[in-house]
Amino acid sequence: MSLFWIPVLLLIGVFVPLITERFGRTACAFFTMLAPALALTQIAGLLPEVLSGEVLTESLAWIPAVGLTLSMRLDGLGMMFSLLILGIGLLIILYARYYLSEKDAMGRFYAYLILFMTAMLSIVLSNNLLQLWMAWEVTSISSFLLISYWSSKTDSRKGARMALTVTGAGGLALLAGLLIIADIVGSYDLATVLASGDVIREHAMYPVALILVLLGAFTKSAQFPFHFWLPHAMAAPTPVSAYLHSATMVKAGIFLLARMYPVLSGTELWFLTVSLTGLATLLLGAYVALFKHDLKGLLAYSTISHLGLITLLLGMDTKLAAVAAVFHIMNHAIFKASLFMAAGIIDHESGSRDMRKLNGLWRYMPYTATLAMVAAASMAGVPLLNGFLSKEMFFAETLHQVALGSLSWMIPVLATLGGIFSVAYSLRFIHDVFFNGEPIDIPKTPHEPPRYMKIPIEILVTMCLLVGIFPSFMIGSLLQAASSTVLDGQLPEYSLSVWHGFNLPLLMSAIAMAGGLLVYAYRGRLYSFQAQFRETDAKLVFEGVIQAIVRQATAFHEWMANGSLQRYVALLLLLTLVMTASPLMELNSAAGHLPHQPVNGIEITAAILLCISALATVILHRQRMVALITLSVVGLIVSITFARFSAPDLALTQLAVEVVTVILLMLALFFLPQKTKNESSPRRVVRDLGIAAVCGGVIATINYAIITRPFDSISEFFLANSKTGGGGTNVVNVILVDFRGFDTLGEITVLGIAALGIFKLIARMRLAMPSADEKGRAWSEDRHPLILAMISQSLLPLALLVSVYIFLRGHNMPGGGFIAGLVTSVALIQQYIAHGVDWIKPRIKVDYQVLIASGVLIAALTGAGSWLFDKPFLTSWFDYFDIPWIGKIELASAILFDLGVYLTVVGATLLILANLGKLTTRHRPTVEE
Amino acid sequence: MNFWVELLISVLLILGGVFVLVGSIGLIRLKDLYVRLHAPTKATTLGLGGILLGSMVYMSHQHGYLTIHELLITLFLVITAPVTAHILAKVAMHHEVPMMKRTRNAEHVSTARKQQAPGDTKDQD
Repeated sequence: MSLFWIPVLLLIGVFVPLITERFGRTACAFFTMLAPALALTQIAGLLPEVLSGEVLTESLAWIPAVGLTLSMRLDGLGMMFSLLILGIGLLIILYARYYLSEKDAMGRFYAYLILFMTAMLSIVLSNNLLQLWMAWEVTSISSFLLISYWSSKTDSRKGARMALTVTGAGGLALLAGLLIIADIVGSYDLATVLASGDVIREHAMYPVALILVLLGAFTKSAQFPFHFWLPHAMAAPTPVSAYLHSATMVKAGIFLLARMYPVLSGTELWFLTVSLTGLATLLLGAYVALFKHDLKGLLAYSTISHLGLITLLLGMDTKLAAVAAVFHIMNHAIFKASLFMAAGIIDHESGSRDMRKLNGLWRYMPYTATLAMVAAASMAGVPLLNGFLSKEMFFAETLHQVALGSLSWMIPVLATLGGIFSVAYSLRFIHDVFFNGEPIDIPKTPHEPPRYMKIPIEILVTMCLLVGIFPSFMIGSLLQAASSTVLDGQLPEYSLSVWHGFNLPLLMSAIAMAGGLLVYAYRGRLYSFQAQFRETDAKLVFEGVIQAIVRQATAFHEWMANGSLQRYVALLLLLTLVMTASPLMELNSAAGHLPHQPVNGIEITAAILLCISALATVILHRQRMVALITLSVVGLIVSITFARFSAPDLALTQLAVEVVTVILLMLALFFLPQKTKNESSPRRVVRDLGIAAVCGGVIATINYAIITRPFDSISEFFLANSKTGGGGTNVVNVILVDFRGFDTLGEITVLGIAALGIFKLIARMRLAMPSADEKGRAWSEDRHPLILAMISQSLLPLALLVSVYIFLRGHNMPGGGFIAGLVTSVALIQQYIAHGVDWIKPRIKVDYQVLIASGVLIAALTGAGSWLFDKPFLTSWFDYFDIPWIGKIELASAILFDLGVYLTVVGATLLILANLGKLTTRHRPTVEE
Repeated sequence: MNFWVELLISVLLILGGVFVLVGSIGLIRLKDLYVRLHAPTKATTLGLGGILLGSMVYMSHQHGYLTIHELLITLFLVITAPVTAHILAKVAMHHEVPMMKRTRNAEHVSTARKQQAPGDTKDQD
C-alpha cells in the first residue's frame, strides 16, 4: 500500500469519532482506534524493509511547474517516530475513554486527537520541506484545540493561547529558515537537502538559517528560554498532556533537530548553541520540577528537563551522543507517557493533584502505585530500566566533550547535578504521593481505576522493563536504523548491554542516586531557600506582553486607519508620489524624440472643456447634483476622446459605464445631504491642493514621457494573431474572450462577488429617506410622468435589439458581451426609472443573482468544454459555415464565453442598481421585516 | 460633385445653421425658464435635423447608396427632446420657478401643478 494512504487514512479517521459518538462511548473509542490501528499495521508491515536500511519514498507531482510535490519518506527515524506516535496514540485513545467524563464531548476530543496525530505523522513522513512545515503548523493548531478542550476554563484558554503563540511564532521562524535552506540547495526536496550538508554549512547564510530553524525547534520543544508555555499547557486533559509531552508535540522539535542533524550539525555554532541551550534547559527543568506541588507540574518540568537532555546530546560533538539522543527519545516517550497517565488516574480517582495533600496512596491503589513507581524509577535512571541505559550513555558522552575547551570538565559535573535533581524529583513523585503518611483533605476516597484504564500503563511499564533488561533484543535494530538516518549512515560502535563494568558513568549514576536521596531528604531547607524568591506566573507575564502588543497595534491602527477616506487617499497618493517621483528624477527630460501629432480645433476645444468641467467638479463639489453633472461631462469627453483616437470599444464601454455611474451616484446621493458645509480648514485645503497638484504633475509627466517614446508592447502579437488564432478581427474582444480569457473569467467572478456583496449590504439597509429637497420642497407626487414611461417602453425593444447586435458583432467589430451587457442594463434601468418598481416587479421575474451565477457558470463551462477535446482550459474554437439564405457565417466558441460575460454584467449591474433604487420606494426594507 | 446636389446640401446646412443659431440666441435672450425651454427643444432640434439631413445627402452621394444613420439620429433627437423639455417644465412647475408677468393663461398654473385638467375644478377651493 502506498505511503500516502497512511496520513489519508488518519485524516478520514478524524471524522470517525464524530459519526460514531452516538453509538456510545465505548463504541466511539473502538471505532476511533480503527484508523490508527490500521495505519500502525501498515507501517509495521514496512518494518523489515526500513530496518534493512532502505529509505522508502513516494511522490506525487502537485504543481510541477514550480517544483511543488507531495512527497513521502519513510526511513529509520521516521519509522521510530511513527511507531511511537501511533502506538502511544492508540493507548491514549483507550485511556481517554475512561478518563473523560460523561459530560465531555468525546467525539470532538477524539477528532482533535486524530487530527493532531495526522499532523504529527505527516511531519515525520514528509519528504518535502514545505510539506513538513505545513504539518508542523497543523500540529500547533490542533494542539491548541486539544489544550483548550475544556474551553470554559480560563486556564485552558490562556495555556492554549500561549502554546499556540510561542510554537506558532517559532513555526514562522522555521519557515524562514527552511526557505533559506531551500534557496541555498535549490530544492524543497528533503532527500536533496539531506545530501547537500556541505553546501549549506559553507554558505554565507548558514548561521541565519541555523538560528531560524533552531528557533522553530526550541520553541516547539520548550527549550530555555521558550520553556514557559509547556507547564501552562498542563491545563489540558491528562490524556492530551500524556500524548503531547511524551511522544509527540514537544518531540517534533527534537525530531526536527534529528532530521536536520546531517545537514546543519558539525559546526561550532551548532554545538555551542544546541548544547548550551540543552544544558540550561536540563538544569532549569530538573531544579524547578522539585518545587512543583502539582503532580502534572512536576512532570511538566521533568519533561522540559529531559527534552533539554536530548537537545544537549544532539548538540554534542560525538556520533555516539546522537545515538544516545535517539535512544532517549524512545525511552522518555515510554516512561513519560505512563507517568502522565498514572498522574491522571490519581487525579481522577482522588480528585486532587496537589502533592501536599496526596499522601499514602499506596494503601488505596497499590497496583497503580507499583506501575507509577516503576515508571518513575525509569525516569530517575534506576538500573534494569530503560531510562538507566540512555542516561548511562548520556553520562558517558558528557565525558568526551571538548566544545568548551578547558572548561569542558563542567559538562559532566553539571550533567551529574541534573541527574541528582532528576533522582530527587522522581523520589518526591514516589514518596510524597504513595507514602509519607495519610492523604489530607482530598475530595474523594481514592481507589483503583477501571480495569481497562490501567492497560495502557501496564503495556508501557512492561516496555520500560523489557527494554531495560533486554535492550538489544527489544529495540536494537530499530535504534540502529533510526540512528543511522540521523548520522547519515556512519554508525559508530556501541553496545546496548546493561552492564559495562565499573567505570566513570556508573560512578556518576551512583553519585546522582546518592545525591538525589540526600537532596530529597533535606528538601525542607531547599524549599525555604526557594521561598525567598518571588514566584512569577509566566501566564501573567505573557498576557501582559500580549496585551501590550495588542495595545500598541491598536494605537498604531487607530492612528493609521482612523476611518477618514480623505486621509487614506492622501496617504495613498503620497506613497505613489514617493514611489514614482524618484525614477522620474533620473529621467533627464520628459520629452522623448517621437514627433508630436498635429492638433486641431476640435481636440483643443474638447481638452479645454475637459479641464473646465473637471475644475468645476472640484469647485462645485459641495452642491452634489451639480458636481455630478459636471463630472459626467468629464466622462463624456473622455469617451469622445477614445472614439477620436480609434478605440471604439473603449468609447462605447465608457459611454455605457458613464450612464450607469451617473444613475448609481444619483441614487446614492439621494440619501446624502444635498449640500455640505465647508469643513476643511484653509491649511488643509492648501495641503490637499498641493498633494493633488504634484500628483497630477507627476502623472502627466509619466504620460508625456511614455507617449513621446517608442513603446514596444505585446500589441503587435495580438494584432497579428487575432484573426488567425482567435477567429475575430476585433482585437479587443479577441483579447478579452480568447487570449486573456482566463483573466476575464476571473474578472467576471470578481464582478459577481462584488455585486453580491453590495446586494448584501443594501438588502438590510435602513436609511433615513429625505422627505424633501434641500430647500424644503416636498417631492413631486407625479413620480412617473406618462411621456417618459411611454417613450422608454417603446424604445426598449430597440435598445435590446441594439444590444443583441452589439453582442453578436463583437468578435469582429466594436462591441462584445461587456458592452452589450451594459446597454441591456441601461435599457432595463431606464424602465425602472420611468415606471417604478411596482410596474417592473410583475413584468421582469428574472432573479439577478441567478443571472450572475449562470453567467459565471456558462463562461467557466465554455472554458472547461475544451477539455472534452483534450485541449487546455479555455482553448477557443471557430469555423466558417454556409447557411442557406443567410450566407457564410463564422461560429466561435468564444461567443458562448461572451454570453457568460454578458449575463454576469447584466446581473451584476441590475442587482446593484435595482436594489439601490428600491431603497427609495416602498419596497425598501423596514423595521418589521 | 453635381451642382444641384451641392446646392441642396448647402441649403440644408444653412437652414440648419440658422435654426441652431436662433436656438442659441433664444437661450440667452428669452426671459424665463418656461419660454427659454422652447429655444433648444424646438429651434435647435429643427436646426440639427437640417444639418443631419445635409450630411445624409452628402454621404449618400459619396457612397452611392442611401445612408440612413443621420435619419436615425434625427429620430432619436425628435423623440427625446420633447421628453426632456416636458420633464424640465414639470420640475420648474414643481419648484415654482417664477414666470414672466405677461405669461398668458397663468391662472392654469395651480391646476396644472395639482395635475388636473384645466376645466376640472372639483378640487379647487
